[in-house]
Amino acid sequence: MFDQLFDAALLESVVRAMVPILLAALGGMICERAGVFQIAMEGMMLAGAFAAMAGSYLAVSSGLGIVFGVTAGVLISLMLAFGTVSRQGDPIVLGIALNLMALGLTGFLLPQIFGVRGTFRHERIDGLDRLPIPGLSEIPWIGSVLFDQTILGYLAFLLVPAIWLLLFRTPAGLRLRGVGERPLAAESLGVSPTAYKYGAVIASGVLSGLAGTQLALGNLVLFAEGMSAGRGWVAVVAVMLGRAHPFAVFGASLLFAFAEGLGFRLQGNGLPVQITDALPFLVTLIALIAARKRFARLLDLTTGG
Amino acid sequence: MAETQPIQRSGVAARIEAVLSHPVVFSLVFAFALGWVIVYLTGNDPGFAYREMYDGAITGSGLRNTLGRAVPIVGMALAVSVAFRAGVINLGGEGQMVMGGLAGSLVAIYTPGPGEIVIPLAMIVGGLTGALWAMLPAFGQTRLRLPILITSLLLNYVARAVTGYLVRFHFLDDSVTLTSTQQVPQTARMPRLPIFGGVSLSLVLVILAVVVAWVVYRRTVAGYETQMAGFNGRFARYGGIQVERQTVGVMVVAGAIGGVIGTHMIIGDAYRFIDGELVVSGLAWTGLLVALLAANYPPMILVAGLLFSGLQIGGLAMQRNADVSWRLAQVLQALVIVAVASRLAFDLFRRRRRGPTSGELESAGVGEV
Repeated sequence: MFDQLFDAALLESVVRAMVPILLAALGGMICERAGVFQIAMEGMMLAGAFAAMAGSYLAVSSGLGIVFGVTAGVLISLMLAFGTVSRQGDPIVLGIALNLMALGLTGFLLPQIFGVRGTFRHERIDGLDRLPIPGLSEIPWIGSVLFDQTILGYLAFLLVPAIWLLLFRTPAGLRLRGVGERPLAAESLGVSPTAYKYGAVIASGVLSGLAGTQLALGNLVLFAEGMSAGRGWVAVVAVMLGRAHPFAVFGASLLFAFAEGLGFRLQGNGLPVQITDALPFLVTLIALIAARKRFARLLDLTTGG
Repeated sequence: MAETQPIQRSGVAARIEAVLSHPVVFSLVFAFALGWVIVYLTGNDPGFAYREMYDGAITGSGLRNTLGRAVPIVGMALAVSVAFRAGVINLGGEGQMVMGGLAGSLVAIYTPGPGEIVIPLAMIVGGLTGALWAMLPAFGQTRLRLPILITSLLLNYVARAVTGYLVRFHFLDDSVTLTSTQQVPQTARMPRLPIFGGVSLSLVLVILAVVVAWVVYRRTVAGYETQMAGFNGRFARYGGIQVERQTVGVMVVAGAIGGVIGTHMIIGDAYRFIDGELVVSGLAWTGLLVALLAANYPPMILVAGLLFSGLQIGGLAMQRNADVSWRLAQVLQALVIVAVASRLAFDLFRRRRRGPTSGELESAGVGEV
């Protein structure tokens, strides 16, 4: 049984499932560090996926797809930053409303621009090429799993140590964390909380936009309504579970991606799709229970104590 | 919100300014203005589209349909408000509605007997199922300290899978191409009333529920205590309120309402449980936006629920006649809440008389400082 389940193909689908979740979670993590509660990743990712598809279709070029995907994520992140940082709005309300706005807007634009409902695929949509690294990609098992990614796949993995360096080894990272943990102290030292919070939210817009791009141009080459399918929320949980630490967030993302990849595989083995679709969310819930001591901040935020 | 606008400048201008500076009014205007731009940019005539939307919502069968769709929207808004008032962020309305809807409709389909018995029974079973489903995240928060915000939302996806599995593998109607249960028999369907061209009896029930909620919120100890916990959980606990028990209580009520509404959607509207239909309609989320717009105030929930229902029904007419997708309605609804939550109306009209805005007061006072 197990040798039928666990092989390089399974690991490949795990890594593929991981890239969008990891990208979005890294963005959410930066926000968490800056003290901004970010639950709009689902909407940013969906908008990013739609825009990436549209850009790629327009120019028959995945390059423009990436540009569009990032732009869509950033636009929504600006609305979130304005609402929560400049206007001190409720981040939960804004996050939910922006998610629903993205769902509605992509559902609206799909028939208006492309004349179809549900799913749109077209030969003009240029997918992201896989870029196997010569030599490394021929290593059995690991090679095809790790060294045959899209450009966004490599980026996601490189960002984990890069963001760790940024957060914990640079003055800017120190200030960002200061803004999140002791906003008054940071301000009295001349660090502008507004600027850092805006920066963090925009960064998460970029990363969630890239996550959506990977969904629509990397993992698949199409756009389907609601195709983010809860991954943005899984990313929220990954930030919580990983306590906003890059390597731990990486681990949490890997766990959920593993559940998704395993579900995909079990589906091939004849398990009903309804069961396998629920698998990542069940694993997420179980992981939450296992790590339950960690959510004091969020509980304070939502229950006032 | 009592905005005292000094009427220094006379007449219409001042009055328009007074109305527009109300946050909800301003946000509605803002959303429709932005919607206008979106429709224009996608190559359609916004004026024509909005006119079709307006006509479609209130003329012909539109009024009946608007009232009909207001039932689940107002109901789900009520379910959300029960929890939100108490500071419990229940995002699981969708799952509670879907689980309750399947359980209730199965009772309606498979229980023989007269409608007077089967229909209430279906509603009760639907409500209980929704309540049970809502208890999972409730106990998750009170016993395991897992935030309801996250668990209730994740359980939506599990509920989709569970109901999809049950319909596909246990209760499938082979005679249709849909993934769907059998039809609800005629006798077990929610009766329609001979007003407005045949609205469902559920409309009366949901209005009653709004009135009951209003009375409970304003006149009972439970209403007062939940509100207090919503304002300040720590203070409520200090004041002797058992916040944990209350959290479970409001979740049970919210889940029960969700389950009953889900049951109504099958025995009073669609007449068969089609896999994914209740999810795609987005009713639970529309209800959530309505509760936010109405700030959990029951009479406003009714008004805002009718408004959003009209947007959606009118949107369908707009889609038929003006070739503009009804999903514009969803965009408008979400934009209204984004604008309200971002306090767009403040400042814009008050920059001249400079006093602290509520936002500034908050950041200076409580906040995270």
